[in-house]
Amino acid sequence: MARQLSRAQVRKQRMQDAVNFPLDWLEERSGLVGGVRYFLFRKVPGDTNWMQTLGSATLTAFLVQAITGVILAMYYKPTPNDAYASIQNITDHVTMGWLVRGMHKWGASVFIILMFLHMGRVFLFGAYKYPRELNWVIGVLLLTMGMMEGFTGYLLPWDQTAYWASVVGINLNGTAPFLGPWLAQFLRSGQEISGDTLTRFYSLHMLLVPGGIMALIGLHLYLVIRLGVTSPPWSKEAAGSELVEEPAAATAARPGLTRPVARGTAAGGSE
Amino acid sequence: MQDEEIHLPPPTLWPLGFAIGIAVILVGLIIDPLWISSIGGAITLVFGFLWIRDASAELRGHRIVVEPERRQVVEAGAGQVGPSAQAGGDAMPHPAPGERFPRSKFLEASTLGLGGVIGGLITVPVAGFAVLPSFLGQKRHRVDMGPVADYKEGQWYVATFNTDPKEGDVARRTAFVRNNGSLAVSGRQEPSFTIISNRCAHLGCPVQANGPSGAILGLKSQTEKGANGPVTLNPTVPAGFGCPCHGGQYDTEGNRTAGPPVRALDRYDYEIDNGRLVLLSTYSVSHVDGQGAQAKIHKYKSVGPGEHVDGPEQWFYPINPPHH
Amino acid sequence: MAAHAGSEKPRPIDERRAGFARYKQDVKERGKPFYPYAMFHDTVMSLVVVSVIVALACIWKWTSWAPHHDGTHQGLLGPEYTARADPGTDNFVPRPDWYFYFLFYLLRIFKWPESVFLGTVGVPTIALLLLIGVPFYDLRRERRLLRRPLAAVGAVLVVLSMAVLTWKGATASEALASEVIADVPHWISQEKLPPQAQPGAKLFAVAGCTACHTYLGTGSSNLGAPDLTAIGTRNLGIQFQINHLKCPSCVNPGSPMPKFASLGDKRLKQLATFLEASKGKQ
Repeated sequence: MARQLSRAQVRKQRMQDAVNFPLDWLEERSGLVGGVRYFLFRKVPGDTNWMQTLGSATLTAFLVQAITGVILAMYYKPTPNDAYASIQNITDHVTMGWLVRGMHKWGASVFIILMFLHMGRVFLFGAYKYPRELNWVIGVLLLTMGMMEGFTGYLLPWDQTAYWASVVGINLNGTAPFLGPWLAQFLRSGQEISGDTLTRFYSLHMLLVPGGIMALIGLHLYLVIRLGVTSPPWSKEAAGSELVEEPAAATAARPGLTRPVARGTAAGGSE
Repeated sequence: MQDEEIHLPPPTLWPLGFAIGIAVILVGLIIDPLWISSIGGAITLVFGFLWIRDASAELRGHRIVVEPERRQVVEAGAGQVGPSAQAGGDAMPHPAPGERFPRSKFLEASTLGLGGVIGGLITVPVAGFAVLPSFLGQKRHRVDMGPVADYKEGQWYVATFNTDPKEGDVARRTAFVRNNGSLAVSGRQEPSFTIISNRCAHLGCPVQANGPSGAILGLKSQTEKGANGPVTLNPTVPAGFGCPCHGGQYDTEGNRTAGPPVRALDRYDYEIDNGRLVLLSTYSVSHVDGQGAQAKIHKYKSVGPGEHVDGPEQWFYPINPPHH
Repeated sequence: MAAHAGSEKPRPIDERRAGFARYKQDVKERGKPFYPYAMFHDTVMSLVVVSVIVALACIWKWTSWAPHHDGTHQGLLGPEYTARADPGTDNFVPRPDWYFYFLFYLLRIFKWPESVFLGTVGVPTIALLLLIGVPFYDLRRERRLLRRPLAAVGAVLVVLSMAVLTWKGATASEALASEVIADVPHWISQEKLPPQAQPGAKLFAVAGCTACHTYLGTGSSNLGAPDLTAIGTRNLGIQFQINHLKCPSCVNPGSPMPKFASLGDKRLKQLATFLEASKGKQ
């Protein structure tokens, strides 16, 4: 070292090393740090707007459901004789139980609303078009699985609204031609709603369907990262737009904002 | 690297025997300290001695030659070049020249086959366990409803009972019961009952009596002590029955009069056992002609709500799951 | 790909590929890093979402709190739980959670037995298939909504019909004896019913008439039966009313109304008196 470092600089250097060491250790052994860096520092169009936060907001709502659901499962008892009493206990006696249950119940509504709003945004932006068709399909599957979570979770409090809504819901499936009666009897775990129906719904609600949702969310995000986020279609600087007729005056007046050259030559870029 | 100067401990297997000896001592301490531990001690001593002898060989002047492990250096370009890992099919190794049944193909087929066997071994029991119990061993019920004499002739009762007390409250059911008086069956007088389930034939909602309940008419409700637990009988004067969900309406024989129900209300089979009314399983009804004891019931096997039992729509449901 | 664009018309797929390549290039050249520029917005939005969830949970609890600590107390956002499930109930009105109201109301629309499965599975399945298929039948590259008239009209129609179905589902009522009887004093004061018509009013409330008919806004009109608020102004006479109640289809051929003969002559007379006294809001 040619230049002498001051004491403060040395201390700062040591601090950085202390922070970097575990990150470097992890990166050398897993490459995870690089993956996260890629995710965080990937480029998105410069003109994305607030409507495009609905997707991550939906993910947040789902995480709230996952976390509060795990905690509720610590107190909830899925048998016809105990379910209602355990819900009363969670709501009335367990410390903050009303809050966790309230967040789970209302989080479900918020989750569903956000899924619809997010879908509406994608439709409005035409963001489902080539090459993002597959992500639209995955999104619709996520919507149906979210509704299935709503349906299976609704029975669990085992109160009157829960029971009879489930009776109707199951019998709805039963009216489907040909396989309907079989599907209904499978969901009911027999001919009549019983304790097995409750545990079956509980298992579907907290294991099978959420597992499927998580897997699909993973695929959904992978495709978002791979294919990128669309610009609002009305944006003057929309990424990928042709903008051949952009008047020269506008370019001169707002330098740097609009495209300097007409398109047509850059087609077929690297990818 | 200076090969000659590398110091390596001499290879020896004796510590293995030494460890076995220790293990035998410990096992002996539990089972038989005198004999087994002694044997263990002997093994430990013998192998300990052999180990020390080997380990100290160098000190005692014996020269041990150890061949150091070395990686074989392959000249660039020599040997076989591995298959391309670029894309699936291309990465598949090519058969060796003259190979009639390529090893790679055999391994591919066996891997897929064995994977299929594993999948089957897991799927068959799991799927069977999840699906079959819904369809097999559906229980029949017998519900003791109390003495026939407690049912006033011509009076409707909203009867609430339990089909299976072991299941708990989840097996509670309600039916509308009317004693139609006695009916001549092959020369004998038999009591006749109309027993209509309160599950809507549209989607299974709890159907209610369209009429003043006992409390308004000044009729007391009564409780029967049945073998399945208490049966409450609430008198009513219904002009028909109505569903609170989607607006289905029925007359007093359970025939649909308005709204979406696809057939008449289900009924319970019954028998008279020692002067007591006993409810059996339900059956489905397309429609009923006539009334009370003279009613002609068009009876079908019990099916789920919303399923047509007659008319062209019945072909939507050609095979029904087994019911009790 | 689109290199020979001048000589012949490029295939649609080539245009789409070129568009996506342009998009990739634009993002690379002029895009902003996701973190922290876009992620800041995402984080703010997520904070709003979590706050709304916590706020709803708190409103739910605090507006339904009662000194006796009963969760069935009705708050601003409904009770914390209703009564314990009773598979043998004969006085409960089932309703689904709000996001199934559209389906619930759809089932009420298909009120003919032959069409039940259209409401239960037919329409929802078709809607789901149409939704999944959107990117496969909407193949134009245009993304601006104003230049996608079909998509815009479709979206508005879907949103409107879902909103209407949800609203109708939320407000649909079945008139149950236990609830309707509470309206009787209101009827008496609004219609100025004479004392002899009042037993009939109670009977009218509990006998299931409001399952099909409406009276001063109470009851269900789902089945298309007439409103009876001012039936007395038609002066049909008490005897006609009794005969009609006993056997509606005898008096009025083709009437789908059930026979109420089983109520007995005394109660039928009370009902008829009430109906004749109903001259509308006074």
